[in-house]
Amino acid sequence: MYPTLTQCAIVATAFKILLFPAYKSTDFEVHRNWLAITHSLPVKEWYYEKTSEWTLDYPPFFAAFEWVLSQLARYADPAMLVVKNLNYDSWQTIYFQRSSVIVTELVLLYALNKFVKSVPYPSQHLAHAASLSILLSPGLFIIDHIHFQYNGFLYGILILSIVWARKQSTLLYSGIAFAVLLCLKHIYLYLSLAYFVYLLRVYCLDPKSVFRPRIWNAIKLGMSVTTVFGLAFGPFASWGQLLQLKGRLFPFSRGLCHAYWAPNVWAIYSFTDRILIPFAPRLGLPVNDDALSSVTRGLVGDTSFAVLPEISKEHTFGLTLIFQLLPLIKLWRRPNPDTFIGALTLCGYASFLFGWHVHEKAVLLIIIPFGLIALKDRRYFSAFRPLAVAGHVSLFPLLFTAAEFPLKTIYTLFWLILFLFVFDRIAPVPERPRIFLVDRFSLLYITVSIPLIVYCSLVHQLIFGLEQYQFLPLMFTSSYSALGVVGSWVGFMVVYFTA
Amino acid sequence: MAPPTPAYRPRKKRKSAALFTNSNSSLIVGAGEGKSAPTFPLVSFLWGTRTGVSQWLLLPLVLMTVGLFRWGVSLWGYSGFQVPPLHGDFEAQRHWMEITVHLPLSKWYTYDLQYWGLDYPPLTAYHSWLLGNIGSVFDPTWFALDASRGLEDPLLKAFMRATVIISEYLVYIPAIVTFLRRYARMQAVPVWSASIALSAILLQPATILIDHGHFQFNTVMLGLFVASLDAILAGRMLWACIFFVGALGFKQMALYYAPVMFAFLLGVCIFPRIRILRLLCISLVTIAAFAVLLIPLILGATGAEARKNLTSAPEPPLLQALPIELDQGSSSYAILFQVTQVIHRIFPFSRGLFEDKVANAWCAIHTFYKLHRFESDFLKRVSLGATLVSISIPCAIIFRHPRASLLLPAFATVAWGFFLFSFQVHEKSVLLPLLPMTLLIAGDGGLDKNTRSWVGWANMLGSWTLYPLLKRDGLRVPYFVITCLWAYLLGLPPTSWQIYSHQDSSDASPHELTRVIHSTFYLAMFGWHVLEAFVSPPPGKPDLWVVLNVLIGAGGFGISYLWCLWRLINQSWRMDHRAEVQKKRK
Repeated sequence: MYPTLTQCAIVATAFKILLFPAYKSTDFEVHRNWLAITHSLPVKEWYYEKTSEWTLDYPPFFAAFEWVLSQLARYADPAMLVVKNLNYDSWQTIYFQRSSVIVTELVLLYALNKFVKSVPYPSQHLAHAASLSILLSPGLFIIDHIHFQYNGFLYGILILSIVWARKQSTLLYSGIAFAVLLCLKHIYLYLSLAYFVYLLRVYCLDPKSVFRPRIWNAIKLGMSVTTVFGLAFGPFASWGQLLQLKGRLFPFSRGLCHAYWAPNVWAIYSFTDRILIPFAPRLGLPVNDDALSSVTRGLVGDTSFAVLPEISKEHTFGLTLIFQLLPLIKLWRRPNPDTFIGALTLCGYASFLFGWHVHEKAVLLIIIPFGLIALKDRRYFSAFRPLAVAGHVSLFPLLFTAAEFPLKTIYTLFWLILFLFVFDRIAPVPERPRIFLVDRFSLLYITVSIPLIVYCSLVHQLIFGLEQYQFLPLMFTSSYSALGVVGSWVGFMVVYFTA
Repeated sequence: MAPPTPAYRPRKKRKSAALFTNSNSSLIVGAGEGKSAPTFPLVSFLWGTRTGVSQWLLLPLVLMTVGLFRWGVSLWGYSGFQVPPLHGDFEAQRHWMEITVHLPLSKWYTYDLQYWGLDYPPLTAYHSWLLGNIGSVFDPTWFALDASRGLEDPLLKAFMRATVIISEYLVYIPAIVTFLRRYARMQAVPVWSASIALSAILLQPATILIDHGHFQFNTVMLGLFVASLDAILAGRMLWACIFFVGALGFKQMALYYAPVMFAFLLGVCIFPRIRILRLLCISLVTIAAFAVLLIPLILGATGAEARKNLTSAPEPPLLQALPIELDQGSSSYAILFQVTQVIHRIFPFSRGLFEDKVANAWCAIHTFYKLHRFESDFLKRVSLGATLVSISIPCAIIFRHPRASLLLPAFATVAWGFFLFSFQVHEKSVLLPLLPMTLLIAGDGGLDKNTRSWVGWANMLGSWTLYPLLKRDGLRVPYFVITCLWAYLLGLPPTSWQIYSHQDSSDASPHELTRVIHSTFYLAMFGWHVLEAFVSPPPGKPDLWVVLNVLIGAGGFGISYLWCLWRLINQSWRMDHRAEVQKKRK
């Protein structure tokens, strides 16, 4: 199977090194600050330090990871490790931080290699194609290598844990790896229910009968997971800092939607709300005047709606839980590795679509697990297609500088053309007939993206200038992408439950 | 009349099938043993397309990939970034956009010559005018007259970088794609191999680094040259003339190719039989093309205002040398003034034998035997003589055998001759011999170990000699990334020595001598990088490493010249031989 994953990784690395001087978001400074905090302060003060507004808000293992990096960073440029050096970005700092992203991404390469090998021979070429699509994913490319984050490394651990979950003998490792992942970044809590159900069902209970628990397995798993969490949070618990950690990790003071609406149900909801404003008097609906000015400006804070009813945290939580539980019932009854990945994907969907204050970057939580099974057959692929387009287009507003415009668009276009074509060629024919209409819908949907991108990136500025109606392209992009994500979610639900 | 055709066709088919396997055998290892593998990484990237994939899919993907790498390089520094007061090539190009947008044509070649006065031929000036006007739509302050000098706005940088890449995609890339398609068909090279060659050619490191890193528009000139080559292959000699005049009119450096072009076009009119009409057409079209190129400037020189502008400038020496006396107020004087001024600006005869440190013969000799002691006129004559000697053999061959298949080695040899021996050579001119030499890999057997090793080696050496220049521009990282990427994709040292291995004893693997020469040079290049990075030169000789680079480079380019010449002679000899055999059979 050529090109091999390693060959692609080499060429991709060459490209990523060229991107060192590209635009970097505040996340670069966030991570530099964490390097400084973990390097120069005792562990006790890590979660109390607030010189910079970008305080440490990842779980302890990630802080430890930053500490390890900071030991190397000393040799690159010690000045980046000073807490007071806010917004410090010497060349050495950029070289160091950017290359740390590239090097830690090797975990992803390793995990994908394992994934290909874990698949039985006749469909290995499918796994190979899927792995390449994840390795070269424009999502990771935009978020990690331009915007700046460490997702490649984290998703590498997730995939490793998924690979381990495929074999009975390595299920324990899978649980441990996922626990470690949770202690690195708590966003993966969204997937934890699927892990819980799956490991309980196939590891702690007998696969053939629910009523024969395997006590020893349950003890092993429980002990290991407790040890991992104990290692991460134990020291902080002993210093009585758990409440402080909770405050840092779960800042619930934020609003329903992020500054730029992530393409989820609430984006459609907000969009509908905006549309309804001019019609509200005719329909006899009351208009909340406070809301008229707030939503479109997208300030972080309470989002309020002018016409439609307010959404509370409890609503979002309830909806997320319901839509996570549905696929888990099926996972409980038919626990096999592919259903597990499907359930993970659907958990990702549910939390992304209905969650509170969701970031657009969280779309990777759906795309990456889905990528692993998108080639199972053509029905999966049909559901994946609109997600691949919408999910990546929705990331475009993250990069708004002129020099990065060709990078994000050409790279994403390249990926979409290449992989949608390759997938279309090799995806096997399903056992059940496809729903014809879905294909037409997705084709139409993909076509619409072209004028949309052209309008948002060029035409809008030519008509209104740079300053006026800035929210308009953002609103269009997120509503459009939301439609795609919801569409692919519905499509995948159908596939998942009928499979 | 029907029967003969079917009898003929199957034979042809069989022959082409045999050729196909032959040409692909250099790309696939162990094809017969059931477990086939690509010979070098670039092949594996196109592995999925070997059974045939629509060009409508493959071509956009290849073009997007190479475009992304170009844009990646362009994010880095450029010539003259934050180096006041004169900055560098970036500022020169921007300045030309500024003056062509704001000044009348009569002032283009005379305005404030001390600050990057326009010294490229008219097509560059028109190109600048067009880009300047487009840029002024985005932000007029980028090109405000005089006020915009030395501007370093990130948006301006993005715009300027985009102009280079768009110009390249409008000229160079279509030219290369159509040329390769025609050339591959002519040489019976399978489409798959041609696609691999295309990707390799579009990733030539030196071209990317100079145009998108250092900042120049070489690819426009090179693209027009390739378009002219393509026209020759298609048998459209008149179009070839027009494109070549375009190349010359964009950048005078295209003169490196002119002798072969001249010898070839003359040869086409004389051998195998004399065709006066063709000769007449070719010369007329060439003259007409030059005239069209100059017309806007000539028209710009008429009129009272223009006359005043021109006569207020110092008279160009070329005009002084003319034996005719003209009234200073007449319009013919103004026109003549304009034309001679353009020529005077384009050909800087008053400069030295070589500029800076460049890896050619003169600079190498100068290291051991100072050439200052001679008069500049004498040096000019010597350099002219040496150049003529070096190009005489290839020109003679191409004149006697005006065959399209001999053109690439002939162009490469002559351009190497110019680079090594001519007057006023820049290190960037190495792109000119490298292009036709690199195009050789698209020919029959071009991707076998022998040709690939030579072409790859010359390109590695070429970009290595550019390193001191790139380092000044802050392009060290892109230099290492882009050259190592090229080496990796083509399976060359330092990433792999596979290409020189003895393992399979097919006759296409490189000769023992080749192996020794290449290994020595690769080791020297590697050692030089280590020295340059970790050892500071001895006091009193701050340029020692650069001089060493020039010496090694000049030696390697000399060898490249000889290789191209040998290849040309070999090919033409084989062609003669084949013709003789056929004659005997008859």
